[in-house]
Amino acid sequence: MSDKTPGNSSPRKQTPILEVPLPTEAVTVRRKTGGEPDTYLGRLAYNLQFIRGRGALEISIVLVVLLAGYVIASLISPTGFAFLNPNNLSGVISQSVPVLAILGLAAGILMIAGEFDLSLGANITLSAIIFIQTSEAAGLWLGIAAGVGTGVVVALINGLIVVYTKIPSFIATLGMSFFWMGAGIFINGTSPAALTTSREGTMEFLFAHNFGSFRSQLVWLLIIGVVAWFFVHRHRLGNHIFAVGGNPAAAEAISINTKKVKLMSFAIFGGLVGFASILIAVRTSSIQPGGTATEDFTLFAIAAAVVGGTSLTGGRGSVIGIIVGAALIELIRNGLLLAKAPGFYITLFVGVTIVIAAIFNKLMEGKAR
Amino acid sequence: MSNALLRIEGVSKKYGPNTVLKDVSFEIGQGEVVGLLGDNGAGKSTLVKIMSGVVDSTAGDFFWDGQKIDKMNREVTERLGVETIFQDSALVPQMTITRNIFMGREVTNRLGFMKMKEMDAVAAEVLDSVVTIEGIKSPKQLVSSLSGGQAQAVAIARAVHFKRSLLILDEPTSALAVRATEALLGYLTQLKGEGVSSVLVTHNLHHAYQVCDRHIVMNHGKKIMDSRREDTSVEELTAAVVEGAVGLQRFREGKF
Ligand SMILES: Nc1ncnc2c1ncn2[C@@H]1O[C@H](COP(=O)(O)OP(=O)(O)OP(=O)(O)O)[C@@H](O)[C@H]1O
Ligand SMILES: [Mg+2]
Repeated sequence: MSDKTPGNSSPRKQTPILEVPLPTEAVTVRRKTGGEPDTYLGRLAYNLQFIRGRGALEISIVLVVLLAGYVIASLISPTGFAFLNPNNLSGVISQSVPVLAILGLAAGILMIAGEFDLSLGANITLSAIIFIQTSEAAGLWLGIAAGVGTGVVVALINGLIVVYTKIPSFIATLGMSFFWMGAGIFINGTSPAALTTSREGTMEFLFAHNFGSFRSQLVWLLIIGVVAWFFVHRHRLGNHIFAVGGNPAAAEAISINTKKVKLMSFAIFGGLVGFASILIAVRTSSIQPGGTATEDFTLFAIAAAVVGGTSLTGGRGSVIGIIVGAALIELIRNGLLLAKAPGFYITLFVGVTIVIAAIFNKLMEGKAR
Repeated sequence: MSNALLRIEGVSKKYGPNTVLKDVSFEIGQGEVVGLLGDNGAGKSTLVKIMSGVVDSTAGDFFWDGQKIDKMNREVTERLGVETIFQDSALVPQMTITRNIFMGREVTNRLGFMKMKEMDAVAAEVLDSVVTIEGIKSPKQLVSSLSGGQAQAVAIARAVHFKRSLLILDEPTSALAVRATEALLGYLTQLKGEGVSSVLVTHNLHHAYQVCDRHIVMNHGKKIMDSRREDTSVEELTAAVVEGAVGLQRFREGKF
């Protein structure tokens, strides 16, 4: 496509501009930009060159290879490496991957907008407590609304502080994290909030039911993943999130309201965190206010986003990449567990994965077309 | 006499203690090409941003087609059909050409979902409509993968596509090669025929003299000259831009 069309070599090319009459027609040469191949495979190959380096493709290959390795290992030694055992698939993989993936999407969407929320873990605790208390007192549906609503309100308050004071979100939400942690204890007291009778029936079926080789959570991930993809990559509001995170001045110059878009990103973050907190609460049945169990999720969620190709500086990331990133982290964790590696190995390997992914990301950012 | 498309009166701008624009007034006629000239730091880009509604003026009044505008902001200017190619090109490097061209003005269905195919097709079309730049493979390319001139072509394409009444170009040719520059300047004269006004900011006085109907010269935030093309010359413009009010005075005394 870079070859010159014959019309390009017009005679007036060499002469200095002042002494030459202006071209009468502005549209001097027409060269079609972007003719796509006709065949399906040709189009796929053509489009692939534009997907390369944008995050999702490379990491997906890594995931597939790892998964293939696990399956082979598990087929060879079903007891030594029990990856394919229904207990592992349904009990571990289909519970842990969806939660981390949903939290990764939350953190990732906010990162695309150029912000962080380090109070994610504290938000989970508080939302889960509200969910448990409301469900026990007023039933499941109000409980769900209260849990998700708490997530949104907490994140929106964080967002308002960040957007209007212009304090870096890193600092503001780190500080707020302690506040929300305290709020959980204030509301619930120091003893754990626990689901009792209300967990049975609909709640269990919706959020933790065992279907043999997978659980309800996996269905939720599918639904949320599809909705998130259409929103982030195909909806105009999603487009604005990228614009605001990529170059806020440019977004403003074209009359996108950056404050509104950032607040919306915080709200989406909060909704997803609130929902994940329900999954976590139903899985574990009880939540410890001020406990550190949920704290790990803050950094793991950001890690999932980064491993999935989300830029730490905003403007870049993809839904598929983030889900794959979360799956990769949980698979590595699971693999080490199955191989009976000592606990600190798991932390160590996850750490190494994140750093490698970040370096890889940086390289890809340069290569992105 | 018919109303000017845009008239600004007594516009001033302060950044903290620094006065960047002092009591600037001028008008832009319907279908007129106006050259906005001046040395580095004269206040041209600031004026452009104020006229585009991106930056607030400290003082001053604005009249569109004779009607007073209460507040020049981006919503108002967009409604009026003002499009600007900003000097510090307002593109998002991590996004595709198509998404940059349609940023904030996406073509969507009723639910707000973007019609990607349609936008890609229009983007490919407008990319080639005014200046044709070699080496842009597809509107699906990221802007970060483009050269300076190619990126400038994207900014031009966007402004050209959305302009309706006034096109403001802040040094639009700074990264363009000769042929693309010619095409863009030629386009401005063509726009006149369509009744679209334009403001051209450039340091190339020959370019300006060639296409502009009127020239406004800024110096240290003040307007020091406002002449129709037939009343001035490249030499006079040069004196005004390079040596300011004093140089202009001297040039005129020497001449007359
Ligand atoms: N955001 C800002 N804050 C403070 N001062 C500013 C700001 N923007 C511009 N200025 C100052 O205003 C003055 C005019 O700047 P402006 O960009 O309008 O000049 P210009 O005529 O476009 O120059 P150039 O030809 O170099 O583009 C300069 O002295 C500049 O330092
Ligand atoms: Mg300037």
